[in-house]
Amino acid sequence: MHHQMESIERPTSLQGAWDRKAEGKEAVRFLGGGIDLQLYSPATVRTLVDLSGLGLAFIQREEGLVLGATTTMTEAIESDEVGEYADGFLREILRQVASPLQRNLATFGGTLGSAHPWSDVIPAFLVLDAELTLFRGSEETVRVEEYYAQREAYAGGLITKVRLPALPGNGRCAFETFTRTAFDVAMLNVACCGAIADGRWEDVRIAVGGTPALATRLRSVETGLVGAEVTETSLGEASAACSEAIEARDDLRATGAYRRTLARQLVHRALLDVAGLKKGDGA
Amino acid sequence: MMITVSINGASKRWSIRTGETLLSVLRREGYLSVKCGCGTGDCGACTVLYNGRAVNSCLLLAAKADGAEVRTVEGLAAGDRLHPIQEAFIDEGAVQCGYCTPGAVLSAFDLLSRNPSPTEGEIREALSGNLCRCTGYVKQVRAVQAAAERMRSDGDA
Repeated sequence: MHHQMESIERPTSLQGAWDRKAEGKEAVRFLGGGIDLQLYSPATVRTLVDLSGLGLAFIQREEGLVLGATTTMTEAIESDEVGEYADGFLREILRQVASPLQRNLATFGGTLGSAHPWSDVIPAFLVLDAELTLFRGSEETVRVEEYYAQREAYAGGLITKVRLPALPGNGRCAFETFTRTAFDVAMLNVACCGAIADGRWEDVRIAVGGTPALATRLRSVETGLVGAEVTETSLGEASAACSEAIEARDDLRATGAYRRTLARQLVHRALLDVAGLKKGDGA
Repeated sequence: MMITVSINGASKRWSIRTGETLLSVLRREGYLSVKCGCGTGDCGACTVLYNGRAVNSCLLLAAKADGAEVRTVEGLAAGDRLHPIQEAFIDEGAVQCGYCTPGAVLSAFDLLSRNPSPTEGEIREALSGNLCRCTGYVKQVRAVQAAAERMRSDGDA
């Protein structure tokens, strides 16, 4: 029971929702699926602004994919558009998130806004070069990577949708996660996307999350790989570089040293998968 | 504040506090099949159908459920006749202490309403949010398989 919550409002326009937030600031919280609000609600919250009447539950295919902020993970998993996007990369990740019961409530806006360091979805959005749309009196678009790099600047903005660009024809993606149990959150997770031409990396993107900090792109490793020949040796060296590059720390789930070991293994697996060289779980 | 909920097909108007969960309200209103286990969305004992989908009612604010359709196990039977999923759970011995059973039955209902012929893997995935410390899941899976067969032959699926 959150005794401090006093009221719930149901605006019918983005402007109405934003005006209420702008007026109430920390005392007002947007309500999507509501999971985070129920589990982690700050004591300052007095008023909830329910977003369900704003028409933000949609999935559109347009040179990639657009997911409305109040679209649930289940709706995405069950949609043909998500299943066909990036050879099912996103669908397979979503199927690993929590349980069906939570996925029936969890929304993309909530996932992006709450930004849990263990999120499996955020590393995927980072390597897909996703862009989100925010409403703060008017719409603005910002890359997801930039949004997290400048969180203070975008704080309080109403996320309305996220756009996932189409992959190039030779693009492939892979995701790896390591958890204590199937139901637990990640000790570490890795998302990679890449494109290979004539045996060399044309493009490669690597994000590592749950370090236990929020996922980030490993730009220095990516830059070093572009143009390099795709060999098991070069992938092994890149994986070791990722292990060194991450911000690994101890927490209740794992030590920082263990996370570096995980990073090397999981990045290696993901890169092998993207390169079409994966030999199975023992790789 | 007041909310109106369609609960097991009947419209009810309830006085709630804005920060209350649907779980809390349902138990206060007498829907005691809905159990409180972890309170954090991990165990599934509080599962209800919310607009047709199985969700953790401990994670859902009752205020958000205003205008929604909610179904609990109390609303599955048709008069004296149990739902085929309930019958199958009894026949297959998929009940021991019973604490998780209503939630598992509703997750199975959600699955079978969308997928009349699920594979074992699909059944296990559908039940993955409903933790059971007694049955080891084998009998629950068998029960859902048996229920699916009955519902297909009865034309319920």
